[in-house]
Amino acid sequence: MSALIAGNIHKAFGDHEVLKGVSLSVERGEVVTLIGASGSGKSTFLRCLNLLEMPQQGELAIGTHRFAFGKGSRAPKDAQLAQLRENVGMVFQHFNLFPHMSVLANVTEGPVQVKGMSRAEADALGRDLLAKVGLADKADAFPSRLSGGQKQRVAIARALAMKPEVMLFDEPTSALDPELVGEVLSVIRSLAAEGMTMVLVTHEMAFAADVSTRVGFMNDGIMAEIGTPEETIRQPRSERLKAFLSRFHETH
Amino acid sequence: MYVWEFAALKPYWGLIGQGLLVTLFYTVITVVAGLVIGLIVGILRTTAPRWVSVPLRLYIEVFRCTPLLVQLVWMYYALPVLIGVDMSPAMACFIALSLYAGSFYAEIFRGGIEAVDVGQWEAGRAIGMRRGKIFRRIVLPQATQVMIPSFINQTIMQLKNTSLVSVVAVGDLLYQGSVITATSYKPLEVYTTIAVLYFVVLFPLTLVADRVELKMGAHR
Repeated sequence: MSALIAGNIHKAFGDHEVLKGVSLSVERGEVVTLIGASGSGKSTFLRCLNLLEMPQQGELAIGTHRFAFGKGSRAPKDAQLAQLRENVGMVFQHFNLFPHMSVLANVTEGPVQVKGMSRAEADALGRDLLAKVGLADKADAFPSRLSGGQKQRVAIARALAMKPEVMLFDEPTSALDPELVGEVLSVIRSLAAEGMTMVLVTHEMAFAADVSTRVGFMNDGIMAEIGTPEETIRQPRSERLKAFLSRFHETH
Repeated sequence: MYVWEFAALKPYWGLIGQGLLVTLFYTVITVVAGLVIGLIVGILRTTAPRWVSVPLRLYIEVFRCTPLLVQLVWMYYALPVLIGVDMSPAMACFIALSLYAGSFYAEIFRGGIEAVDVGQWEAGRAIGMRRGKIFRRIVLPQATQVMIPSFINQTIMQLKNTSLVSVVAVGDLLYQGSVITATSYKPLEVYTTIAVLYFVVLFPLTLVADRVELKMGAHR
């Protein structure tokens, strides 16, 4: 059963066409990784999946939430967007933790404010999730006291607190010092093992090969190739992907 | 050598006290009104469509780029003619001081709101929060932290600016000073006392501002 279907997504910023009709369907429990050069549209496409970017054309279906974009379709209302995003967690490159709240309050903000969960219940949930990402002892700390890797693990706990059906990761380790990448990847890996449906944008090729059920290569606003990690990373078909991978291996 | 005779002010302490109360009263009500105006205008300037934000910009610039004294006098002498109603000096002062404060507070609010990273809005949206809630719970608290030092500075200015109401014969501290001078012939003692009183009220406020600024830095 599909957890997520995005069909023929188009997005332009002014005259610049970033997505030229990208489609992707993700089965429940799948981990799909998007790779590609910067400017290929992979982050924009990911942001279209929780409608932080509004596509100009195309369709999106996640769970019971269905949206159509383009001529003849109405722009989704604020409430519909909020309902969709309750079910789609997102982790950002720059964490975007709330600096004026404690770590625990960051995690419980969504459950309490959006889902109306009681404070006690949310705190218990928050502490469980912080334990899960290995930060039980940081519950009362403020984000400014944490390392980048710890911040990103809090951000993952914050997204998980909404009990989303799908998790989106937008270059979750790109802003981290190299020695902190591993702790974040291992949290993502354990989520994958639990069967969480995920779409990731990452430059960690080895990790992508290891954790993904499928890897998609985006180039110039289209999904140029998509297949198992074996197919996409080990046996690239197009010249573009071969060039991208060899460039990548030279620099990493 | 001038011989100070502060004792000569003794019969006037009541008047001075009254003047101080009027000054504080005008400060408080115009700061409150100014904050309300400033918050609304500041938010609308960042979020509203152009046909709303452009006139608001005009309001802000008019009040920032004309002297408060001119605004006061205009409100008292010109506005009543223009709209055909009688305006008491107290009312004219309240309106001018509030609008003046509002224009400055609006810019402080706008600056503070815009200083909050867009990633904060996105993080709020990503967990399903609605705009109003993100603004109240995520953006405004952070904006306030940035804004508080500027707020305190502007409020100190506002207290000092209330001295201008004496021009249209509202009985504030400075006005009472000129009244007392006229009967006591002790300008040096009177105006020194008044200056000291302004200082005694405002200096602690600047200390508070410094403390707050230090504390704000703690979580950053």
